[in-house]
Amino acid sequence: MAEMMNEEEFRVALEDAMKGREAKDASFSMAWATGKLERKHFARWAENHYHYVGPFADYLAYIYANTPDHATDAKDFLLQNMWEEEIGDVRHTDLLIRFAEACGTTEEAIVDPGNITAVTRGLQSWCYAIAMREHFAVATAALVVGLESQVPSIYRKQLPPLIDPDVYGFTEDETEFFDLHITSDEIHGERGYQIVLKYADTPELQQRCIEVTRDGADMRFAYTKALYDTYVAPDLGAWDPALVPA
Amino acid sequence: MPVIRFLTSGKEIEFPEGEEVNILRISLRHDLGLPWSCASGLCGTDRITIVEGAENLSGVRRRERDRLGELLDDNVRLACQTYASGDLAIAWDPDQKGIDEDSRAGKRLKTVWMEGSKHGDQSADDGSDKAERA
Repeated sequence: MAEMMNEEEFRVALEDAMKGREAKDASFSMAWATGKLERKHFARWAENHYHYVGPFADYLAYIYANTPDHATDAKDFLLQNMWEEEIGDVRHTDLLIRFAEACGTTEEAIVDPGNITAVTRGLQSWCYAIAMREHFAVATAALVVGLESQVPSIYRKQLPPLIDPDVYGFTEDETEFFDLHITSDEIHGERGYQIVLKYADTPELQQRCIEVTRDGADMRFAYTKALYDTYVAPDLGAWDPALVPA
Repeated sequence: MPVIRFLTSGKEIEFPEGEEVNILRISLRHDLGLPWSCASGLCGTDRITIVEGAENLSGVRRRERDRLGELLDDNVRLACQTYASGDLAIAWDPDQKGIDEDSRAGKRLKTVWMEGSKHGDQSADDGSDKAERA
């Protein structure tokens, strides 16, 4: 039977649960960061990504409803996260659509759920299921630690080539979606960790949080890999990690 | 290891050589005392004055330009938008709030929740308030 970990041990266990399965290391991310993609590939990414992140406030709303009144700090964190996604400033999905249109696709194509892979559909469904059915600390571990906290490490590799005129050559305005999330998800990730560390207060809850964090990282990795396999491999062939500079 | 000194709270934190750390995140994680609110570069509550180590900071981001304007010339940055890669010393007003009550975020909230969108102040969306932020 697992024993209760202290907060530092638990944080390390959550971090370890994502190691070796981080989406920044998936084929689509690597091809992106090393300048091998074309705008049509980014368009397909945006059409899929919309259906993963578009309902993020919905996922969080289910967690919010499952969070007891006494966990005020957790409820406030979830509500603020929802507010930022939707009405804090520019709606985040509008920034994604702005990037997608710069890649040559249309809003109609982006919002069409018929334009996504089965793996993207699975990721969205997993997010809904976790948010609706799990303890709020577990759901926060899955969606905020396992998924959202990875964003800065992914986009910090992907934004520089996007705005490099010698690589992809997008404008600052077209890529605001990425710049925004590099910083905002640093804080969301940290606050998510703090909620999980505080409210997963039994050995069983801690173990469940570790499991779903690992599952979340696996889901995001599989989603990212599927984008390469579906849209890029027909052009570039199977991904060869040796193409990445040391 | 590099050290960030939080002069106003009298605390400091080391971080591993070769890493870049978000200043607000490390403050939150280790309870180092920085005030903050939105953490999105909108309110300006987490503005910091760089006392030492400006050369060890990431470049100014778009939201800092929008939110801080000429304050950037006075070595002011937003902790949520800034990464450190080496030694740093920062200070702040412990009682500081957002830069102004009429911020873009504030306008938008007022538009959406209090006045109703059909009566909304469109300047909240079109960026026309940028000039008044600085």
